[in-house]
Amino acid sequence: MLRPALFLLSSSTLIVIVGFPVLAILLFAIFPHINELSLAAPLSALLPNLANEKLIEATFNSLRLALSVTLVAAIIAVPLAYMRARFPDRLGKICDAMFLIPFLIPPYIGSLAWMQLLQRNGFVEQILGFNLNTFLYSFSGMVTVMALHLFPLIYFTTASVFSVIGRKYGDVAKVFGGHTITVFWQINFPMALPALLSSGLIVFILTIEEFGTPEILGARFGFPVIVTSIHEKFSDWPIDLPGASVLSLILIIIAFVAYQGHQRLSKRFQTTIDNQSVEAKHPPLSPWAMVGVVVVFGGLFGIAVGLPLLTIAISSFMDTLSGGLAWDNLSLRTLRELFILDGDGWAAIMTSLTLAAFAAIFTVMIATVVVFTVVRLRIKGTGFLDFLSILPNSIPGMAVAVGLILTWNQSFWVVTPYNTPFILLLAYLCLMLPYPIRMISTALKQLPQSLDDAAYISGANDLTVILKILVPLLWPISLASGFIVFAISTRELVSSIMLAPPGVETVAVYVFHQFDQGSVNSGMAMSLVTIIISGGLLALGQRLKGAMK
Amino acid sequence: MKKFVAALAVSLALSSAANAAETIVVYSAGPKPLSGALAKAFEAKTGIQVKLFQSSAGKIMARYQAEKANPQADVMISASWGHAITLDKAGELLAYTSKNAKNVPASLKTGTYVAQGASALAIAYNTKSGLPAPHHWADLTKPVYKDQVTMPDPAKSGSALTLLEGLVAQNETQAWTLFSGLAANDMVIPGANKAALNPVLQGAKGVVFGAVDYIAIGLKAKGETLEIVHPSEGTVLAPRPIMIIKSTKHQDAAKKFVDFVLSDAGQTLVANRYILPARSDIQAKRPGYNDLTLIDFDYIAAANQAVKTKAKFAHIMGK
Repeated sequence: MLRPALFLLSSSTLIVIVGFPVLAILLFAIFPHINELSLAAPLSALLPNLANEKLIEATFNSLRLALSVTLVAAIIAVPLAYMRARFPDRLGKICDAMFLIPFLIPPYIGSLAWMQLLQRNGFVEQILGFNLNTFLYSFSGMVTVMALHLFPLIYFTTASVFSVIGRKYGDVAKVFGGHTITVFWQINFPMALPALLSSGLIVFILTIEEFGTPEILGARFGFPVIVTSIHEKFSDWPIDLPGASVLSLILIIIAFVAYQGHQRLSKRFQTTIDNQSVEAKHPPLSPWAMVGVVVVFGGLFGIAVGLPLLTIAISSFMDTLSGGLAWDNLSLRTLRELFILDGDGWAAIMTSLTLAAFAAIFTVMIATVVVFTVVRLRIKGTGFLDFLSILPNSIPGMAVAVGLILTWNQSFWVVTPYNTPFILLLAYLCLMLPYPIRMISTALKQLPQSLDDAAYISGANDLTVILKILVPLLWPISLASGFIVFAISTRELVSSIMLAPPGVETVAVYVFHQFDQGSVNSGMAMSLVTIIISGGLLALGQRLKGAMK
Repeated sequence: MKKFVAALAVSLALSSAANAAETIVVYSAGPKPLSGALAKAFEAKTGIQVKLFQSSAGKIMARYQAEKANPQADVMISASWGHAITLDKAGELLAYTSKNAKNVPASLKTGTYVAQGASALAIAYNTKSGLPAPHHWADLTKPVYKDQVTMPDPAKSGSALTLLEGLVAQNETQAWTLFSGLAANDMVIPGANKAALNPVLQGAKGVVFGAVDYIAIGLKAKGETLEIVHPSEGTVLAPRPIMIIKSTKHQDAAKKFVDFVLSDAGQTLVANRYILPARSDIQAKRPGYNDLTLIDFDYIAAANQAVKTKAKFAHIMGK
């Protein structure tokens, strides 16, 4: 009784939130006049758009970029996650909190900060006398910037697995004479592989979908990717929405192939930890090892978070952009304008925070139900749900926004969220669902089925199993994914710009207007304030989480 | 949170009862303070409410296109004349000539759309860059400006496209030679208008070829070390069209809004943002019609060639 209900609930929720807009995009690609509710000239947009010879280059570039970013992000994240499992609890929590910060920095702002820092006459040159202009505007530069921004996704997922694996297996191996490195490669790594693959998939798909960095950095060395081509359809005159939908199809196909590959690989490396041994604590690290680890973490944090954040902060206090780094160029003008002269700034921050909080709560709740349905119920068709749940990450926000408009701006709906703040919430749910679903399902797959079975034998039903066993065990990862959703939502840009009802502004929309017409510095100031506020809220959340334990 | 939920509920209720009070929906390209001020002043004057959706020209057009099944906008203000040309050709604009458009130059008005104001395209350079002051477009092909020039991408900026079209219309061979020279001088095309301006402000580059002048003038007024040059051999205007969408259910209110934008009060607000007011009898706070040498060319004919022109430009720039 409960199982069909759960299945119905999770599939209908996913179909409304994700399926509808994606379907609208598909229909738009096939019927270029569907926006006028007409099926005229079917398929006429398909061929001309696909025949473009530049598309092959863009597709190849997208794939090359996404693979490289995923690889580099994994190389950074896995050793960190492995070390993290050896930390004393307190230090580990601090590290986790620190690596949440990159999510708070919009990639667009992050890239601008890197430019301000490394380009000719940038901050580095003004202080140290050299620039990294050539590196910044190159493929390796772009990969580095993007990997530094995305690696925490892999870090969080694998770190949680490393800590669940605990020490027992390693200890057993060491008793039999295994070297630390052997233990890592033969035991921890294979066990963490599903988590690595799953978070790697997200990083891959996010890179494919990422617009800001390729637009800002890639444009400088001629590196078109599919998303920039799609955005050209939105900005180049005349606007070509069907064309953008056609190109979005390519992204959907890439996501599909990546997803299939991921499924195969993870089946091959399926591991479950049959016996959790969280209690088996690692022995405290020796002081020297401790120093080494702190240096590694600190150094990476300094580069990935400190430098861009410092740049954003300095920019916020600069009076003029052309004034550069000089004492007499310091001023509170931008910050003052933000909060005193312009009430819109505060309003935007409040809107964003509220939306982000709701988005985090709802996505985690929906994700828990969906993940249980997909992973545990083994009903036919759940694989489709699983794939559906990563789709929004593969489609550019602009296209998702168009899909949402096509879906909800119809006169046949009696009540519609369109033109109310609800449409933003719906957009965020759609765009953010992949994170908790990926993270929670990875964790759930690691929990032994035997746990559920034991409960069932003792007479528990599905609901009891979810509420009494799985939710408590999955609580930490659910909360972590909720934090990530919150962080990313506070700065969601593209769909907000398209969907914000008249008169409503989110932080990103505000920043966008500053960049478009006003000054970069006030945009930076707004980002800084948002990072501080939402970072503060996240820290508070982490503390609460600690207190609840 | 409670407040937000209440606000959500209220806005839902309002959206269903939106027609109770006279309300028009205006989609406007930036600058945001201008559209906000116009809306507020109009509300105060007429009592008609304005629901303003404010974004970049491309985004408001994308939203308009996606909404075709159930159009929301009554009036649109774009930053790109080409947008109005397309919509007009598709028969989507309401014919209206405002009584206040009398002093708008003939090239900036048609039977269905009229300029709210215009920007002129200019050379903007950072005075701290140590570069000699440029006077002509072609100056930027000189070796001294090598690796120092940026230009907004005509595929992303309507005004950069207008400049490209104007220069080509003025003298095709000369224009393409100019752009080849700029390409050889390692000019970069980093994106839309601000993307081209920022590296110059930050000192990574020295000069923008084809800057939207009112943005640069506004930044200079805020203390940026920018100088703006309108080449004497001629530049183009990028007019900002205001148009009423044919599907509007609030024709009279929409017409009143257009009237207001072209009124003394509306045009003064436009002038305050350093934009060239559409009406030649309103004092501009920047180089006006008499101070600029303008290339006179047929916007519509150029628009028909736009795809070809952009492709050739992209080819020369090696994009």
